[in-house]
Amino acid sequence: MSVQAQASVASNAPRSAAPLLEVADLAVSFDNASNPGGPRIQAVAGVNMTLFPRQTLAVVGESGCGKSVTAMSAMQLIPRPPGRFDRGSILLEGRDLLSMPESEMLRVRGGEIAMIFQEPMTSLNPVYSIGDQILEAILLHQKLTPDQAVERAIGALEEVGIYNRLKERFKDDALALARGKRDLLSEYPHRFSGGMRQRVMIAMALACQPKVLLADEPTTALDVTIQAQILDLLRQLQNDRGMGIMLITHNLGVVAENADVVCVMYAGRVVEYAPVFELFENPMHPYTRGLFASIPGVRDHRSRLTTVEDVTHEPAEFRKLPGADRGVIPWWPHMPEERRPPLADGRDPYCLHRIGPNRWVGCWRTPELESQASPRPSLDFRRGG
Amino acid sequence: MGTYIARRLLLMIPTLLGITLLVFSLVAMAPGGIGAGLQVSGGQMSDTSRVMQMQAYLEDRYGLNDPVIVQYGRWLAQISPVKFGPRFQLAPSGIWVKPPRDLPDPPLRGWFEPPSGAELDLAAVSGVSTFEGMRSMDAHERHRSLQRDSEAARRAYVGSIRGFREVLADYARAQGLQDLLDAKGAADPRRFEGVTPIRQGTAWDALAAAAQAMHTAQRSAVTKAAAERASFDAAPYPRMGVPLVPDLLWLGSPDLGVAFSKNRPVSELIRSALPVTLLLNLIAFPIIYLIAIPTGVLAATRRGSWFDSASGAVFLMLWSVPTVLAGVLLIGFVANQQYLGLFPVSGLHDTQAETWTFLPTFGSGFERGWLLDLLWHVALPVTCLVYGGFAVLSKQCRAAMLDNLSADYVRTAKAKGVPKVDVVIRHVFRNSLLPLITMFVGIFPAMLGGSVVVERIFSVPGMGTLILEAIDLRDREIILANTFMIACVNLLALLLADILYAVADPRVSYE
Repeated sequence: MSVQAQASVASNAPRSAAPLLEVADLAVSFDNASNPGGPRIQAVAGVNMTLFPRQTLAVVGESGCGKSVTAMSAMQLIPRPPGRFDRGSILLEGRDLLSMPESEMLRVRGGEIAMIFQEPMTSLNPVYSIGDQILEAILLHQKLTPDQAVERAIGALEEVGIYNRLKERFKDDALALARGKRDLLSEYPHRFSGGMRQRVMIAMALACQPKVLLADEPTTALDVTIQAQILDLLRQLQNDRGMGIMLITHNLGVVAENADVVCVMYAGRVVEYAPVFELFENPMHPYTRGLFASIPGVRDHRSRLTTVEDVTHEPAEFRKLPGADRGVIPWWPHMPEERRPPLADGRDPYCLHRIGPNRWVGCWRTPELESQASPRPSLDFRRGG
Repeated sequence: MGTYIARRLLLMIPTLLGITLLVFSLVAMAPGGIGAGLQVSGGQMSDTSRVMQMQAYLEDRYGLNDPVIVQYGRWLAQISPVKFGPRFQLAPSGIWVKPPRDLPDPPLRGWFEPPSGAELDLAAVSGVSTFEGMRSMDAHERHRSLQRDSEAARRAYVGSIRGFREVLADYARAQGLQDLLDAKGAADPRRFEGVTPIRQGTAWDALAAAAQAMHTAQRSAVTKAAAERASFDAAPYPRMGVPLVPDLLWLGSPDLGVAFSKNRPVSELIRSALPVTLLLNLIAFPIIYLIAIPTGVLAATRRGSWFDSASGAVFLMLWSVPTVLAGVLLIGFVANQQYLGLFPVSGLHDTQAETWTFLPTFGSGFERGWLLDLLWHVALPVTCLVYGGFAVLSKQCRAAMLDNLSADYVRTAKAKGVPKVDVVIRHVFRNSLLPLITMFVGIFPAMLGGSVVVERIFSVPGMGTLILEAIDLRDREIILANTFMIACVNLLALLLADILYAVADPRVSYE
């Protein structure tokens, strides 16, 4: 993995852009199906993150850490029950999505926030042609005549490069090309490869020009070449439109090459929040360090790979934060009781602490940290220029 | 798609052959064999030779005394649209006029002198000369008359053969030839073929007299048959079908034959029974579908709700009640005059229904009219047909919906902003159609077959009653015709299902 070492602090200059999407203290829990009387399963326990226009916010973490639940909550796609929003809010340009009535939510879904999913093979309805499915999205959100809608659908597929092969074939025959483009609309998903289907999904998601794109592991099921193509495509569309992308993934390579800001999650909480280069150069939370350490290198000749546990079981790892001597200790749910800082009350022992100007780390809540009152994580930072 | 359908249609031919052969064998293997019903009624009066001769005639007429495989072959030739021999003719009454069948040879020819008057000269009796006395009749009447005569002569001849066999049995006992009799003590002339008879004694005299009678009857039958054949060849009625090779091969419609227990064409019996069954089912099936499918959809979308549990419990409870019990209880409590007496106990119409108007009239007192009377009569049978049908269909529908409700593309549709109702109908239900199609095509054979139990309980003269009676009497033609029809419709329905799959799901393709 190559982390581009150009930490461009210049682009971190304060901008006046208002955040697109603000997740504030979001907590989501689910009924415990196997133990109905027991405690609820806390999928997300107080998550904060902020997405700015033209920014890619990568949400990283292992399976079950609450990445997808956060994104699904923004769409109100969490089935309730068994799900429940315990507290917090998700603001889209200031409007709270969690309390939004369904009628308004229908306009937001697909119209202002679009989502693409991990499984391109099954995310398209097998019994409708791709044209029908894209048109459905377009006609739901835009007042267009059927002809205009078809034009828009063709335009959307054009943008995601579905027609590249066709264009090559009908280089000299504009009429045949136009017909071919239209014919492709009546093809069914099963005739497409995984990469092509994901492109169709993206075309469908972007056909209505959403402000925010929630990409839930969009490339996990694809091979590396297609993965790179899809991510390039997303970045290019993002630049053209100024859209904010929340990129949910557990592929750190994808993060390194695409993200502007990274939010590392564990057990329903944010453990680290930082611009991508700073995070990769200097991971501060032991879990983040564990994640990076567990990536095998090609030239490593080890009989056993380093695991996250190898790092998090090392007490010294938790003493590296600035202010460690004053009790600033990274939050870690598996830490033995005796090593945790003592807590007077029974409240949530976790808080997100601003360590540096661009860095938030999840820490054990101590009276001292509480008095400092870190602002919510918000980094209006973009890589490159 | 076209070649696929053509291939499937062609494949149906061997399938149908297999089905009919199986059913034919089953009927033949049943105790008493084909036509057991006839033999039971004959057996009760076996002493009267008249009854015996009648039975012999019926056996001859319907070919019941031939080996099973011959009977099956004959039935196939009858049902086949490609037919051999001269084309049939269509009488104005709708009856198919067929050429006279070949007569059997008299048994044990070698034992007796040729009948007086030497060999039959067929040429002498055939031709126009026979018609001399009938000039005044028109061709139709003449043919009918000749047919009647020929049939009567044939009956006498076949009866005389049976009589001869009885006498032959007595003769065998008198001459100590019991070994040649079969287990029932009846004589099969073929087993006497190689024996040199002892031509004396009263037994022989009786046998010679029987042979004499038989030969006389044969001569008469041959003469009459030749006359009928001559008349047939003159084609008094319009010929049927399309000729392929003149007098040898032609195309006609399948002939379901004549039911020997009722002496009526099977097609006629079906024509009167089928509308009754169709009526019941055309009322019952829409009710089942219109209630079960929306219930299944709702139960799936509200999985775990009180509606889901309640509908499931109620439907399963209904499904668990045997139709026999429900029918009897309905008759006993709802129809019985001593209890509620709300509905008629049996039948399809009031005895006076024919005199009523179609719709109810209110003029001088209420009269329910023909239609309302019919609905009133079918209410209980339809209830019996319907109540058990909800469970399977609604559970299937619910399961299919649940499979798809959690599918990824449903999440995609929701993420697009599709309203919930549209998600359920457009995306989930559409994808749940395949199992429903499978169940749906099952309707068609059921519609033809009728419900044996329900029709029996409520004395409804439908297909179920027809087939049950036919099975009781081993009426080969009705059983086979029914099986054949149901098999045809079943195979066509399966083909329809496969075509519908392709329509419902673009991934299914038969190219």
